[in-house]
Amino acid sequence: MLLTLDLNDPRPLHDQVAGSIRRAIAEGSYAPGDRLPPARDLAGALGINVNTVLRALRELRDEGLLEFRRGRGVSVLSRPDARAALQEAARELLAEADRYGYGPEEVIHIIRELS
Amino acid sequence: MTFRNPGTGDVPAGAGRTGSGRAAAGRTGSASGRPGGSGRDRRTAVTVAAVWGALVCAALVAGPLALRDRLPDPLATHWGSNGVDGSMSFAAGLAPSLVLWGVAWVFLLVSAAHGEVLNRRGGRAGWWGFLAGGSVFALGVSGSILLANLDAADWRQAAMPGWAIPAVLVAALSTGVLAGYLGRGEPDRPVEPGDAPTMRLRPGRRAVWAGRAANRWMSWLSAAMLLAGVVSGTFLLLGAPAGEAVWAVLLPLLPLAAIVSLVSDVRVRVGPDGLRVGFGPFSWPAFRVPTEKIAWATAERRSPAEVGGWGLRGLPGTGRLAVMVRGGECLVVRRAGGGDLIVSVDDAERAAALLNAYAAEAAAA
Repeated sequence: MLLTLDLNDPRPLHDQVAGSIRRAIAEGSYAPGDRLPPARDLAGALGINVNTVLRALRELRDEGLLEFRRGRGVSVLSRPDARAALQEAARELLAEADRYGYGPEEVIHIIRELS
Repeated sequence: MTFRNPGTGDVPAGAGRTGSGRAAAGRTGSASGRPGGSGRDRRTAVTVAAVWGALVCAALVAGPLALRDRLPDPLATHWGSNGVDGSMSFAAGLAPSLVLWGVAWVFLLVSAAHGEVLNRRGGRAGWWGFLAGGSVFALGVSGSILLANLDAADWRQAAMPGWAIPAVLVAALSTGVLAGYLGRGEPDRPVEPGDAPTMRLRPGRRAVWAGRAANRWMSWLSAAMLLAGVVSGTFLLLGAPAGEAVWAVLLPLLPLAAIVSLVSDVRVRVGPDGLRVGFGPFSWPAFRVPTEKIAWATAERRSPAEVGGWGLRGLPGTGRLAVMVRGGECLVVRRAGGGDLIVSVDDAERAAALLNAYAAEAAAA
């Protein structure tokens, strides 16, 4: 599972981890039924506390994306719906725009120009 | 992929592994699955194995039946240092070589029809060698027993000539080697750095990858060995009468169970510092390959037959090491100093892409 964290993202870390996992599922790198790597592995790879990852996984479970099963670990239950996937993408777009000094209004303007 | 995050470089530029591609390719993935053995080769192999295997089965049954009038019942089936020391009824004496061959035959057929063993040269050589050598071995074992029993009035008078067993082994081995040589087919297309997937790293972002490969059969095997070791160890400790032979069998079981458990579940991580491969349920012990020591990486399909079996496989001095948990998708890492590292892992294409991106970054720095 490929995860990316934005080092300048002001959001709390567990939100970012949840967003990263949500995007990996939305992109189809994990299909419903697939097992996620153990939280300990994800935390080790990201260099963060395992509780942060667990918190992110619980958030995604509450959203209905993941399911926790005894003995089988965490697996993907369903893909995020289009709106949730778009929200995640938009959030990242806004973060990216922020780095270049563009505010949300200007991003909306750019989108209007494109469509 | 209708909705790609704007400018997100997180998707490997590899072959069709985007969302829809992944869905279409199914769970087995599409990682560099260049089939060296075409569908025609596969059909030929399956047909030859089916016909040849059936003929061998027929010979293993028809031979003894045709000679039944000249054979004693029971048959002499085992010879020790003092001559013949074991016998079985006619039917039971027939069974072992038939079962031995039957199991090998089914395994070969299934692996050729469904597996990836024929896709690469090493696998093809092993498969054809095993088919030919195994059948010669089964026929030889059965034939030598028949020969020893032929025209003997009683099983105690059946004498196995001393050369028979070595002759069977040599014949099986040489047939196997010859068949492997003849069946090896075209050389594998060498993998070039240009085939390696990559992705764009973006400043201010930390990209990591975590994956694993597990083999449920090996986990069960390890658990069974552990159970057997613990149960019999308990009996021994409680003072059950047991010879030293029991210790000799049981004591190796526990370390063996641990080793099998370690290679039944492998965790792989890729990060800015490079690759980490952890063994077993605790992901420990582990080894690392730092980014600077990685030339490039690809995802390829490899089978245990090519690397010499399951587990940790390698020859010292060749620089080649395989962590073979299961056949199929593997991360293949070419080290900067030469030599390949092969690790079974799911979703290896993304791991390879990220490793290549970090390796390129390290080379540029």
